[in-house]
Amino acid sequence: MKISYKWLQDYIKLDKSAQEIADALTLVSFPVESIESKIDDKIIIAEIKEIKPHPNADRLRIAMVDNGKEIVQIVCGANNIEVGQYVPLAQIGAKIGEMTISKVDLRGVESSGMLCSDRELGLSDDHAGIKILPKDYELGKPLSQYLNSDAVLDVEITPNRGDCLSHIGVARELSAILDMKYSLPEIKNDYSKLKSNDLEVIVENKELCPQYFALKINNVEVKESPEWLKEKLLSIGHHPINNIVDVTNLVMQELGQPPHAFDADKVKDQKIIVREAGEMEKVTTLNGKEYRLPKESLLITDENGPIAIAGIMGGKNSEIDSSTKNIIIESAEFNRKSVRKTSKALGLSTDASYRFERGIDRGSLETAIKRAGDLIVEIASGELKSIFKSIVKTESKKINIEYKKINNLLGTSIDEAEINRILQSLGFEVSDDKTTIPLWRHDIFTWEDLAEEVGRIYGYGKINHLEVDKTEQPKKSEYYQKEHIKDLLVESGFTESYNYVFLSEQDISSAKLKSEDLLEVANPLQKENKYLRSSLIPGLLRNVAKNPSFDQNFFFEIGNVFSKEKEVNKLGIVASGRDAKNIIENVISNLSEKCDFDKKDMIISELKRDELLNHKIKKPIVYVLEIETKGLTKNMKVSDKGLDLIISDKNIHYTSVSQFPPAARDLSFVVDNAVKSSDIQSTISESDSHIFLVELFDEFSSDKFGKNKKNVAYHIWMQKMNKAMTDDQANEITKKIVEKIKNKFSGELRG
Amino acid sequence: MKGNLHPITQYLRKAIHIFEELGFDVFEGPEVDNEWYNFDSVNVPADHPSRDMQDTFWLKDGRLLRTHTSASQVRYGEKNKPPIKVVVPGQVFRNEATDAKHETTIFQMDAVYIDKNVKVGQLFWTLEYFFKKMYGKETKIRFRPSFFPFVEPGFEVDTFRNGEWFELLGAGMVHPNVIKNMGIDPEKYSGFAFGLGIDRLTMLRYGIDDIRHLRSGDLRFLKQFQG
Repeated sequence: MKISYKWLQDYIKLDKSAQEIADALTLVSFPVESIESKIDDKIIIAEIKEIKPHPNADRLRIAMVDNGKEIVQIVCGANNIEVGQYVPLAQIGAKIGEMTISKVDLRGVESSGMLCSDRELGLSDDHAGIKILPKDYELGKPLSQYLNSDAVLDVEITPNRGDCLSHIGVARELSAILDMKYSLPEIKNDYSKLKSNDLEVIVENKELCPQYFALKINNVEVKESPEWLKEKLLSIGHHPINNIVDVTNLVMQELGQPPHAFDADKVKDQKIIVREAGEMEKVTTLNGKEYRLPKESLLITDENGPIAIAGIMGGKNSEIDSSTKNIIIESAEFNRKSVRKTSKALGLSTDASYRFERGIDRGSLETAIKRAGDLIVEIASGELKSIFKSIVKTESKKINIEYKKINNLLGTSIDEAEINRILQSLGFEVSDDKTTIPLWRHDIFTWEDLAEEVGRIYGYGKINHLEVDKTEQPKKSEYYQKEHIKDLLVESGFTESYNYVFLSEQDISSAKLKSEDLLEVANPLQKENKYLRSSLIPGLLRNVAKNPSFDQNFFFEIGNVFSKEKEVNKLGIVASGRDAKNIIENVISNLSEKCDFDKKDMIISELKRDELLNHKIKKPIVYVLEIETKGLTKNMKVSDKGLDLIISDKNIHYTSVSQFPPAARDLSFVVDNAVKSSDIQSTISESDSHIFLVELFDEFSSDKFGKNKKNVAYHIWMQKMNKAMTDDQANEITKKIVEKIKNKFSGELRG
Repeated sequence: MKGNLHPITQYLRKAIHIFEELGFDVFEGPEVDNEWYNFDSVNVPADHPSRDMQDTFWLKDGRLLRTHTSASQVRYGEKNKPPIKVVVPGQVFRNEATDAKHETTIFQMDAVYIDKNVKVGQLFWTLEYFFKKMYGKETKIRFRPSFFPFVEPGFEVDTFRNGEWFELLGAGMVHPNVIKNMGIDPEKYSGFAFGLGIDRLTMLRYGIDDIRHLRSGDLRFLKQFQG
């Protein structure tokens, strides 16, 4: 939600910058995602101490300015500057429009910022010279604190804090954080003498509508809103419509209570009935759409039918237009759950429904309608005619404060007086160890909720960190056994993959699965997410198809698969390329030995040509295997201490993967036995910036290479971020590598 | 030839190892779960706006893909007596459009500690201990208020990186309703819980720029994580 810093000042006199306010809210209440500001906080007030000519440019001068901390050197082109003036200094990092100020060299002289004109500050189009500031401004302070410039905070209000969906809500929160007073708008007209004649309201369901206020105002002049009102709404992204509608929007943004305005002459006999929808009722709302109303949704009606969906949107049939003379303003409390239910059913969410769902300030309804009345009298020359009130009295909620439990949960020793003070600063009334919850709070039920209020205002940064008991438990979870299987597979050369649990229509036809055997997603946003996998194999085959530039593909995945009856954890393996058969057979022997499992039960399948084609795999031989992990883990030999898993502490430098195809080269070298293969590997990696992956795939000594010599072989991949790697470029890089290995390790390229 | 573990597995192992030293057990719940465990049991009723915080994959049989590993908190709590100390790693699912930062499928790990007199100060200590072990002694973290229906008070935890605060995870004191749903008396026991977004933290650790790489099966990506 957008909160205007300038608008907030109507209710609380802030002496801190927008950034400081944002930081305070973020730490104590809810995050401020961004601040949109016309004048950046890095533009500060500075004093010109000295002006020197520029050695290399006649039109430029060098100003030495005091930024409140030190003297900095600024190169300036304007000719209205003089020593002693206070001027706006955009420091390094300041944003001016799209430009960010940095340290620059201007014709051989360094400049650590920029002095600004009116236009650069976004104040006017005046670009004739540097803006000269009054001398009562404080050096070093952000200029935004002095000039009448707004900053708009984008505040992320969590669903529990509906009370802060308004400027007064945020001002109230700030008053607790900053220990300051806040005030409500003053009501200027006298409403006490208004009667309810010529206005009738019948609230049929008081559970869904505990409070209803209606105010009739006659002889309004519907027109464009005055500038100040339009500016306020525009500053937070609301489009002005006309003065009446704008007033209701202003009151909503001010108090969080969304009033609604009806054209009184369009309401039959000026008689409003608040009731639940009957069978098959329809209404066309202000957005021009027709809605069929679910039964039991709450409506505002006249004797002809619905004129608004309560708390969500008004009806077209009672809309304010340019010929409207007399109006009825509604300010009501609607049941949160009921509004949410109707809004969900209709797929219609509005600023009003958003607030009603999260809970409005139940004590603000009368203020809201009077405030709307005042403004309409003021800007639409309306005459207050009559007022109607329907209120079900509700007891304010009281809970015990439980000082001890609060301190115990937080791990603090805040004294009772301080706890009381904090609660009172948030609008809670305190007496006899009990507190009355303010009518605007809908998220406080228990002492734990109070603990949060106390803790956050006290300051989470002040809470002492307390060590937890470290008594270890035996590693008995099946997790360790499954992870151990992964280590066995990695040892045999397999790469672990995680695939989506989803299958598309296309996937199940490629894999010849039957849709009726699969669990189906009811509401997929994307067609890829229609079914849940019943096997790991389709995903693993997709991995093989994905990697044509790798001759060998050895993948495994451990993950859950689903049928209508059950969810089981499986191990899937795929192997293709040179030695695939050997490697997969080895891994099976290895697994069956470590897991005490009969290897006859591990069935390897070879994919047929048409299956490969279906999965878009261009490799000739592909083997797959899938087995329930339970079969492997249940007899796994585990010592009392449990299994120790391999935990890597290697510092990995990840290189982004290009969208374009890489080039791959295999190189073998003959080197002395004493040379470490890992050293050669790093030298290859560093020989050209296009190399992003180097993998050792063979290392053996043999007399046929000479005494104490060995063969080392590497796969090397190269890529370009903006296009495909060509053969010529790859060959160039290869040459470079060969030369390096020769120079550094006396390595000879083999064949 | 050497194979290698997926970077997420490597991260999770390290994370689990840190909690193992603090005495945490490991529990893995089902990925397909029901509305009760995923939402109601952790204090997210159907008629509350907090339901809208997560876009859910509903299945045609009325069940759902869990939206968070917190779905397994009550499952574990029902079968174990305090002191409860457990981490729950696993995949969770969000029905949303994907881009470099958003995925339908991510790994999370919940940690839950329930005992007599568990305090906010212990939650803070545990998280600081974890992040210093994982990212180095200089790691700075801070706590600020947030809202998750299954905890009260609730916190967002940030770390300071490259000159700004970076949101790490949500945490809090287990809500008394959740403790009650485990069959444990919230008058006698309290606890803390937090949920680590493993994909995001793995990306942070290795400098991975696009979350979609993690499930791409692209060997150019995967093979860079050879230990």
